[in-house]
Amino acid sequence: MPEVFVAPLADLAAGERRLISADGKSIGVFNTGSQIVAVLNLCPHAFAPVCLGVVSGTTLPSGAGEFIWGRENEILRCPWHGWEFDLTSGQCLTDRRRLKRFPVVIRDEAIYVEV
Amino acid sequence: MSNPKMIIDTDLHPVPIHEQVAEYLDEPWRSRYLRGDHGAGHPNYFNPSGVMRADSVAADGRRIERFPDTMASHFLDRYHIDYAVLNPMEAMEHCVSPDAHYSAAALTAVNSHFVEDWLPVDERYLASVMVAFSNIELAVKEIHRLGAHPRICQVLLVSGSPFPLGHSYFHPIYEAAVEYDLPVAIHPGLEGVGIAGSGGTAGFVSDYLQWHTLLATSYMTQLVSLVAEGVFQKFPTLKYIFVEGGVAWLPAIMWRLDKNWKALRSTTPWLTRPPSEIIQDHIMLTTQPIEEPDDINHFRQVLDMFDAEKMLMFSSDYPHWDGDTPDFALRQLPGNVRDAVMYGNAQELFKLETRERVV
Repeated sequence: MPEVFVAPLADLAAGERRLISADGKSIGVFNTGSQIVAVLNLCPHAFAPVCLGVVSGTTLPSGAGEFIWGRENEILRCPWHGWEFDLTSGQCLTDRRRLKRFPVVIRDEAIYVEV
Repeated sequence: MSNPKMIIDTDLHPVPIHEQVAEYLDEPWRSRYLRGDHGAGHPNYFNPSGVMRADSVAADGRRIERFPDTMASHFLDRYHIDYAVLNPMEAMEHCVSPDAHYSAAALTAVNSHFVEDWLPVDERYLASVMVAFSNIELAVKEIHRLGAHPRICQVLLVSGSPFPLGHSYFHPIYEAAVEYDLPVAIHPGLEGVGIAGSGGTAGFVSDYLQWHTLLATSYMTQLVSLVAEGVFQKFPTLKYIFVEGGVAWLPAIMWRLDKNWKALRSTTPWLTRPPSEIIQDHIMLTTQPIEEPDDINHFRQVLDMFDAEKMLMFSSDYPHWDGDTPDFALRQLPGNVRDAVMYGNAQELFKLETRERVV
């Protein structure tokens, strides 16, 4: 698969993203703090540009009336309908659908995506 | 899947420029409106996505829903929409305000803003005449002021009401609507606001998830009330549009009402035929928020349980967080109802001419 240059690793801080176009696709590249991930900029629900959504943490599963915040920078919320996606797996937190992911390569302190 | 010949969106949400609205107000209302009094206060249920889509912004930074040109180019053009019914936001709050004189004045100005500042900009727009509940005389006066306008397509009320909408208190609104051959539409979102009931009939829920889910119960209440109080016997030409209430709840409440009528008819002797027949003759539903069960066939089976081919009309709800784009709605619908839902029923109801698509 061809590699596409995204950015120097130092330029993508935790919580930040880059949108790239490659092979006719729009792809979002995110730094979750623990890893760099790349996902197709297309929500599997209603085909929204999901990578334009807010990245944040979220409330973790908890007991009734309890609110535990966690997973900072790992959750992408679709800008159209608010579905939350786990960037580290692509999985939607509330539906069986998931984001399409692309392999990320870090080489010579730079980020590449295999498209 | 072939594209429908036309698309009519029965629920599009512009937001007024309040300084322009104020131009249509006299004192003492004008300065009050400009100070930011835009109706009854909300209980502030929190939506983490925001109620308005965050990405509804044009390239020049303007919010798309605040300007008739950006709404047309970014939504109507993009989705090939031939007509769109304007149901204004940051305005419906006045419908449930207890302050009768101010809310009537404010709604008159909002109605004028959309008639004067939006309709001339794009021929695809249709406007609503929106009226408040707290003074029926003023509501009727406003319907008479705008009812004959050729591009006013409906009287717009909200589904959160001080008591159910079948009551005779509201009948003068229906009488005026019928005089201009206008359907009456109700729109949700004001449940629990101002003089409106809480929505969920058991009382106030604690969060947006519950509140929004239970908006469907408002619609059940209004449906049963309108039918049982004999509104459609009194106004046999009246059509009532249930906007943004969803769809799938209808068969269950219709069956329950029919079953009860069989035993209790003598308490409502004006119901001379099964309530479900009255419903199918007088009620229209808009599609959004279209239900999304895991098995799409379950939803399609629901559409077989009532006369969807006559009663259902497409709506987008753009730019709200739970909106359905035309292509999304179309994918949920079985082939036999697609044309009727995407344009046919609305075209007939609003008496709209066929438009040849340019794009």
